[in-house]
Amino acid sequence: MSRILRIELRRSFGIATIVMVVVVGAIMLYAAPQRWSSSWMELMMVQREYLVLLWPLAISAGAYQARREHRSKVDELFASTARPRFQRVVPTLGAVGISVVAGYLLMIAVAAPWIWDTARYLPAAAFAVAAVGVLSVIAAAWLGMAVGRLLPSPVTAPLLGVGALAYLAFLPFALEEWLGALISPMADMGSFHDFQTISGRVSAGQAVFLAGLAVAAVVLLAAGSPRARLTALLPALLGLGLGVVVMPHGDDYVYPATDRVAQELVCAPDLPRVCVSRVHEGLLPEVVPKARQALALLAKVPGAPTAAEEKTVTYFEKDAPRPTHGPEIVTIPITVDREGHLAWPGLVVPRMLDAAGADGLGCEHGGAPDEVARAAGSWLSGVEPVAEPEESPETNQEAIALWNDLRKLPEREALARVTALREAVVTCKQTITLGPVKAP
Amino acid sequence: MMRAVSAAETAPTGYAWAVHAEELRVRAGRHLAVDGLDLALGTGVHGLLGPNGAGKTTLMRALATVVKPAGGRLTLLGQAADGHTDLRRVRRGIGYLPQQFGFYPRFTVREFIEYMAWLKEMPKAAIPGAVQRAIDRVGLSGKANARMKTLSGGMQRRAGIAQAIVNDPEVLLLDEPTVGLDPEQRLDFRELIRDLGVNSCVLVSTHLVEDVAVACSDVVLINEGRLVFQGTPDELVAYGDHGGAGDSPAERGYSSLLRRHRGEVAR
Repeated sequence: MSRILRIELRRSFGIATIVMVVVVGAIMLYAAPQRWSSSWMELMMVQREYLVLLWPLAISAGAYQARREHRSKVDELFASTARPRFQRVVPTLGAVGISVVAGYLLMIAVAAPWIWDTARYLPAAAFAVAAVGVLSVIAAAWLGMAVGRLLPSPVTAPLLGVGALAYLAFLPFALEEWLGALISPMADMGSFHDFQTISGRVSAGQAVFLAGLAVAAVVLLAAGSPRARLTALLPALLGLGLGVVVMPHGDDYVYPATDRVAQELVCAPDLPRVCVSRVHEGLLPEVVPKARQALALLAKVPGAPTAAEEKTVTYFEKDAPRPTHGPEIVTIPITVDREGHLAWPGLVVPRMLDAAGADGLGCEHGGAPDEVARAAGSWLSGVEPVAEPEESPETNQEAIALWNDLRKLPEREALARVTALREAVVTCKQTITLGPVKAP
Repeated sequence: MMRAVSAAETAPTGYAWAVHAEELRVRAGRHLAVDGLDLALGTGVHGLLGPNGAGKTTLMRALATVVKPAGGRLTLLGQAADGHTDLRRVRRGIGYLPQQFGFYPRFTVREFIEYMAWLKEMPKAAIPGAVQRAIDRVGLSGKANARMKTLSGGMQRRAGIAQAIVNDPEVLLLDEPTVGLDPEQRLDFRELIRDLGVNSCVLVSTHLVEDVAVACSDVVLINEGRLVFQGTPDELVAYGDHGGAGDSPAERGYSSLLRRHRGEVAR
């Protein structure tokens, strides 16, 4: 059997399918690596999103393969052989399945070196997301074969591809969110933050539905009579029914869901304490020197922070936990660039120094105005305020003006103003300025 | 009146029939292409003759278990082949070259025959040797690794014969096997089927009466789905003495028998 499978792989459209999936997949991935450069989970989710093209490709490849069977006119010859039809289709099913799976997995292999150094956290959920992706391309390719066998026309493959694209692009949005996510392997795979995950129940529901679809395709392919073809509906409906049972419904369906383990802090071994989220553990070597530099500059402020941590709170969670760290901890702003490294590393220290290390995260009003916070930070570092990328120049101009004003003041006065600013942010004052400090 | 129209009359005593049809009826679409055929075939080479539309291909397809009989009885290798029983064991003993030989064009000759051997459920260990033997027997050793689509029509036909014989079938059904073969290849083919007929029941459907006369030990002539004649090539030739058209004695016998049968049907 393995020898026959190898022959099928070599002589079917297997190699072409692998190349097609890998090339299309790699082009999509590398067209926007910043979408998946921060973590393995992000990569798996983005790959699932790209099923919008890979699925139609897989289904068309299956239909094209089925057309080979039709054009070769082997039905009569094969029907005279001892192997029953369901066994006869195994090598072709195997070859097509292996091809699309190989293509899908090779896509990961092509992307892996890009984030190998920086992406350390590999949760089990990432494997589940990839496994559902694998199952989805198998189901698509086999479904294509089954339909291609029933309708062996030259237009079947392209029409199926267009149909699959329309199915993925439109149908999920016409349904409730959880149901859309069940029937579409690419729905709700968009990434909103680096701690995102897909729950086990969601992956299990999708896997059950797709397995039903794959079995239905096999039954349809092996069926020799119209009645037997009708029985193919059974596994499809069973898969849908079980998937509906397994999938979280209504309020239980959370998107985007957060991975608490990914949010956990991982700290550098020595002091002062510098911690990042587990998902960004690979960035620790880049972050630690900058964070410690910022802590050293902040040290001149009375009551200055003594530790630095990444902010792991997300705004997508229901009842999102408020940040628990106190004023003794300064937030490290972490954004991952397209290479998987720290984005704008030159801005890490300035942003940590903003408002003298106070971020007002626990406040209703959200801390100091940007230009004020930035001017205070720049006074601590002695470096002119630096604009955020794509920021309007006015904000930074105002920050520079305030910074220049601070520099003209005696050092004690300037420090008192900066300290007061920090205190105002920490205590959640509504009006926060760099104005003169009133005598107590 | 023709002789030897029933299988029972021509059956050698104690013959173990590999193929036995009684009142066999087989449809080709809506048309009853085989209509009450009695036929018994044992070891040897049997030539199946008949005009276009006589039901030869439909009969071959029924014997290859590709189509279910619409009525009557069909026994292959001692087992009923009526579509209600498991045909797997029977099919393991059958080799079949359809009139329209389909193949995967990207496969090499060796790969395709190996694939067919797998489909015929041959033991895994026996496949490589059997494939090589089949390729050698049809004279395609030099083309074993050539892709099927690159072969000439005659070579493709020989590959078709190779796949049919790869499992050393007890019943070998060859529908128009000599189409596309050059004269030298036809001579080789005759030699091959004579050799195969020593131990197997070989049924060769063809329009070439001369091939049958030379290579077959038994001639089966059907018309309008019924058996017209079954006998030896000499007996076929003998019918040519009573008239009939054709360049050779066998052809004259063939046409004479057909003419008589048509006359009988008309009456």
